[in-house]
Amino acid sequence: MRDGRRSRLPVRLLCSAAVRHLAQVPRRNGFRHPRLRPLAAALLVALALGACAPGEDGVVRTSASGPRWFGATSLPPGDVFRFSLGAEPETYDPGLAVGQPDGRVARILFEGLTREDPQTLEPLPGQAYRWELSDQGRTYTFHLRPGIQWSDGRPVTAGDFRWSWLRVLRPETASRYASFLSPVVNAEAFNKGDVKDDRQVGLEAPDDSTFVVHLASPVPYFLYLCQFYTCLPVPRWTIEKYGNRWTLPGTIVTNGAFTLTYWRQNNRFEFAKNPRYWDAASVRLGRMVGYTLDDLNTTFNLYKAGVIDWCPSGYFPSAFIPYMRGYGDYSHGDFQGVYFYSISVTHPPMNNVWVRRALNHAVDRDAIANQLLKGSRRPWGNLVPTGYPGYLNPPGIRFDPGYARQCLAKAGYPGGQGFPKISILINTSEDHRRIAEAIQAMWKRELGIAVAIQNEEWGSYLQTLTSLHYDVARRSWLGDYLDPNTFLACYVTGDGNNRSGWSDSRYDAMIRDAAKELDPARRLAILQQAEALLLSEGPVVPIYHYSTNELIKPYVRGIYHTALDIHPLTRVWIDHDWQKRAAPVAVAPGGPGTETR
Amino acid sequence: MSLLAFIARRVLLIIPTLWVIATLTFFLIHAAPGGPFQAERDIPAAAKEQLMRQYGLDQPLVRQYGRFLANAVRLDFGPSYKYPSRQVREIIFEALPVSAELGGWALLLAVLVGVPIGVIAAVKQNSRADYAAMGLALAGVSVPNFVLGPVLVLGLSLTLYLLPPALWQGPESRILPVLTLSTAYIAYIARLTRGGMLEVLRQDYIRTARAKGLGESVVVAKHALRLGILPVVSYIGPAAARIMMGSIVVESIFSVPGLGRYLVNAAFNRDYTLVLGEVLFYASFLMGLNLVIDIAYTRLDPRVELA
Repeated sequence: MRDGRRSRLPVRLLCSAAVRHLAQVPRRNGFRHPRLRPLAAALLVALALGACAPGEDGVVRTSASGPRWFGATSLPPGDVFRFSLGAEPETYDPGLAVGQPDGRVARILFEGLTREDPQTLEPLPGQAYRWELSDQGRTYTFHLRPGIQWSDGRPVTAGDFRWSWLRVLRPETASRYASFLSPVVNAEAFNKGDVKDDRQVGLEAPDDSTFVVHLASPVPYFLYLCQFYTCLPVPRWTIEKYGNRWTLPGTIVTNGAFTLTYWRQNNRFEFAKNPRYWDAASVRLGRMVGYTLDDLNTTFNLYKAGVIDWCPSGYFPSAFIPYMRGYGDYSHGDFQGVYFYSISVTHPPMNNVWVRRALNHAVDRDAIANQLLKGSRRPWGNLVPTGYPGYLNPPGIRFDPGYARQCLAKAGYPGGQGFPKISILINTSEDHRRIAEAIQAMWKRELGIAVAIQNEEWGSYLQTLTSLHYDVARRSWLGDYLDPNTFLACYVTGDGNNRSGWSDSRYDAMIRDAAKELDPARRLAILQQAEALLLSEGPVVPIYHYSTNELIKPYVRGIYHTALDIHPLTRVWIDHDWQKRAAPVAVAPGGPGTETR
Repeated sequence: MSLLAFIARRVLLIIPTLWVIATLTFFLIHAAPGGPFQAERDIPAAAKEQLMRQYGLDQPLVRQYGRFLANAVRLDFGPSYKYPSRQVREIIFEALPVSAELGGWALLLAVLVGVPIGVIAAVKQNSRADYAAMGLALAGVSVPNFVLGPVLVLGLSLTLYLLPPALWQGPESRILPVLTLSTAYIAYIARLTRGGMLEVLRQDYIRTARAKGLGESVVVAKHALRLGILPVVSYIGPAAARIMMGSIVVESIFSVPGLGRYLVNAAFNRDYTLVLGEVLFYASFLMGLNLVIDIAYTRLDPRVELA
């Protein structure tokens, strides 16, 4: 497979963001100084414990009734909201954007047909004020809001949407997320260059305010796909004029709640309220500043000093999570991502299903999540995370050393005798190493097998992973949209994200059947069976469920925990009277649930 | 040999050196596993092919090398693979002033503080002042900046709330990174100055100066310092190149948008064009500064001749 063919399903997993959670480094530009982090961490933990004791310096405000706050709580000057964007985005051209920071910027600047509800992520009317579904779920007709404009005053038309979506599909655009539009009639063939005429693609703009999308077959989660940043509209005339430099401040034209006023690479983005946005009346922020910060300790320091008001999930060192639980700033919740070990089934002994089962049942997930990671993650024995509307996970893999030993004996290695030495591939990160060492010890203890740890730098790690020249490799996936398909479709034979060499025709058939099933409950039941099969036969050793862990200053309103860690910032505001209001209810330390402020 | 001929000869030597560096870097970065268009999330084959075509990576390596050399001569390294809206040249020329400013202040501080400390230590050799100065210098050399930086942030930003903990905005944001970066240089320059001065102070011409009745301060400042500082001068050339090309550690701790962060990240990202651009730029900068230092040498020490 290599990283060869495109997936037939509109499903790709956004993985790298998850890596960042563990690598403690914002995506991509991940500089990690191996010696710097532990030291700085120790210093900062000392600080978090010492310098922030209640009552000191009047900086941490405590009251009998309200929660404690971490560091400075002085209000930002005016209606400005300042936050960390993580690493420098590669590009924030919506059609080309890849990573989480890219998407965050694109979502601030552009608005799609629908927009996400800030709490549930359900589609709300955006540039389209209503839409209809017809032709047995295969045709969506979107009606654009009258009078909507680009930031340069041109009207936003259905033709803009059609052009933008076709641009994503054009082979010469080389959009990495073009598969999000694959459900559209002929989209995939057009993207591959097999269909040359864009009129054969199922996208129509019969008039300026009507955008019609024809799907090859019904896709229950299509509106979630349309919400993804790849499907945001872009201004044709500036792209045709400036090429790939159209996104620079000064030339960029947007249709969202904000415009880009300043950008300096590796420093910051500044956004100003877009007065031409249709809902400008409900945008209360005048300005936003997104700092590109690739060092997590630095981000944490800036948050404490009150230079940034929001530290999104994964942008401060996970070692500090236990110390932050007592503060009102800390907000956490489930996040649609799973950390797991992938097994390359291309060679013995890993091609033996009993070996895979033995390895799987000999992992004590509870010890890793609750002891090693101090409860900052949830032990998880499934591939699909929790919380997909209507989906019930099959029983997850349990820690059962006795059964694990039986499995290994069935595989022909009783007590681990004659088992060749295998290795765990990780990319460089303190946390990955700690987890790998814990699992190495578990496999040694429970199964009596020798395991080495193979550490590679990110680029080499990806190469090894893709070429399948590994035994066991650390991986993680984050869901792109609220449907189990975003996880399960990866393990279809030959999918570019499979990366294990595993192939099972029964599994492929289930995923195919589910895609054709019109009844939502039956469809999810098929997917549940598929997950059960994958867990019992497949190349996956699930370890833990991701959580979001963010820090929000007490005066910031309108940021909520969401399952995909997506945060529409349009309705965020600064509460200048926050101290006069009743203190928001703090999350109980370590307790479940989320802050909703 | 005239100064002009000397410069011309050195510049002629720089060119083949740069060529060797360019060639080595080119083949090393291409030999590193993985490539610029690799991600944990699979890139569709069609998109990947298109990207490879766009950047000419589908061509044979030798042809890519030829094209790279031809463009490099014109200082054109093409667009960054990672940040496609930007040219490598733009990135370098945007980040260089930041690193140069940070490095410039740090070096200035290092010289202004390090040289007097070294002179005092040499003049009062084996006194308490000498021990104190050299003890401090030893500490300064020994404490790495990835320890010093966070400690300064902890004390001055997060406990006393006097200075911003990071970011490159406004004059007060310069203080901590400059202090962090300069400490090791202060210490090293102090030690070099002391050593140089001690040697010079024993020389005959210093005795002559004293014998003809000059005051000790004049002897030290006018006669001894001029030669005693030579080790510092030869150190400052490469040090300036290094310090101005950005310190990855200090730039990361303080989130300074300088060159150091780009260089390391570009290598991790396999951003071939950015790596090559930065490496060649750094090499030229280093050799250029060394040339300047050699010229300065002849002005300070009449015994040194251009060769």
